[in-house]
Amino acid sequence: MNEPILVMDAVSKAYSAAAPILKDISFSQKAGEFVAVVGPSGCGKTTMLRCIAALMQPDQGQVLHNGMHFFDPPPWLSIVFQDYNRSLFPWLSVRRNVAFGLRDIDKRERDERVQTALQAVALEHAADLYPWQLSGGMQQRCALARSIVVQPKLLLLDEPFASVDAQTRIDLQDMVMDICKKMSLSTLLVTHDIDEAVFMADKVVVLSTRPAHVVEEIAVDLPWPRDQLTTKESPEFLRLRHRVYTLVRHQAQKHAGANREELK
Amino acid sequence: MTAKRNHIAPFVWQICTIAALLALWQWAALNHPAPHLPTLQNIAAGYLRLWHGDLLFTAIIPSMSRLAVGFFIAVAVGCVLGLMLGYLRELDPWIRPVLEYLRFIPAVAILPAALLLFGPTDTMRVFVIAFGSVFPVLLAAIDGARRVEPLLLEVARVERLTIPERLFRVVLPAAMPSIFAGVRIALSIALVMMVISELIAADNGLGFYILRNQRLFQTANVYAGVLTIGTIGLVLTLALLALEKRVLAWHRGWRGLANAG
Repeated sequence: MNEPILVMDAVSKAYSAAAPILKDISFSQKAGEFVAVVGPSGCGKTTMLRCIAALMQPDQGQVLHNGMHFFDPPPWLSIVFQDYNRSLFPWLSVRRNVAFGLRDIDKRERDERVQTALQAVALEHAADLYPWQLSGGMQQRCALARSIVVQPKLLLLDEPFASVDAQTRIDLQDMVMDICKKMSLSTLLVTHDIDEAVFMADKVVVLSTRPAHVVEEIAVDLPWPRDQLTTKESPEFLRLRHRVYTLVRHQAQKHAGANREELK
Repeated sequence: MTAKRNHIAPFVWQICTIAALLALWQWAALNHPAPHLPTLQNIAAGYLRLWHGDLLFTAIIPSMSRLAVGFFIAVAVGCVLGLMLGYLRELDPWIRPVLEYLRFIPAVAILPAALLLFGPTDTMRVFVIAFGSVFPVLLAAIDGARRVEPLLLEVARVERLTIPERLFRVVLPAAMPSIFAGVRIALSIALVMMVISELIAADNGLGFYILRNQRLFQTANVYAGVLTIGTIGLVLTLALLALEKRVLAWHRGWRGLANAG
């Protein structure tokens, strides 16, 4: 039972020999844990996420879900993608988008679960609208509802707040943290926003520039529930933020330095 | 003032144009009586005769049934094959050259071959209609299926949809706008093929009716038959557009927003 829900065991991936993307990525995630993966932009975070979701197989190493290897996404896994305006079905209403993954259950239970998911993301009033009639934040909430309605155990978030404005991002962060804690979900958040990573996660995994490998894992022991104001003002938050920021900036500078070397 | 006139004008002009053309025809028919210029009342009488009584059952209904069966086969085969070819791209290099070649054969040209193959039967006529109209649907479905948003297919994979489910629940709806464009073209081709197939070795249908009346020099009936085909084409096209408006309501809204943003 104490088996980690996700184990990355020396995962490597390259689209071509000259351009390795991931190099020996190893970390693990306990059940119920919120892990945030940060790294310089373009370091291969999305490739890593696709390997984790088994949408893609790594070249070397293993991705283990509950100790098992998968060639297709495991049934208990759900994803929220960054591009909400591309990941929602434009021909389905919000309600039917949310119900998309619910099959083989009777209509009443399906309706109930959709209703619960819509309530969790505060979208009941928009259930019969189409995604293109919603604001960006509402679309992303719809995508979130579609992911949690199947009652997943592992939720992958691929920069889910990167394409919305600052205020909406804060609201979405609170909403996601709330939902994940209530459903005791294991959540893996991929982001380039350091504040967000430290604020939301139990553990921050810092990646290097390409080819990405794990630079450091940092445990975040900030107390729950977390608050946008008090948590972010606490000395512990600032210390952790400083630590992660230094690591990421160091990676970015090393990358810039390497580029300069190449130019010489 | 100007705005008001512009609002009324197109409609009035359309009525005037039609009225003027009819008046000119009638004037010519009355003043220069000739076999190829029947009067309007004769054409109208022939037209009405087609829509009730025996002629409905020997001309319009046989034609419409062939059209319906042939067109339905074309749409069904075109959609299923097209979505599969568009989605399962591995198949494409194998089948694409054949399709691209067949596409350039005018459907009319296979009529003699179809006659040899099936004889002067309904099967031959349905085949010719289906052959002529399948290609616009097929190519539109391939095109539509290829342009499905890849992220939506990943969502479908994460939700563990089987391949038939992905085709039916993701690829088909996404390709629908493209398919409808193909179906509209297919309908007009199907009408052409319906008439042409009935000009050869037929004993009923609208094409046969027109041809027989031409031979009997019943020109009013010839024109009545032509106008009837026009009416059928118009009504079917309007029905198709109404269906499209319902099925693709989401697409107009989505596209409108995509263009605005």
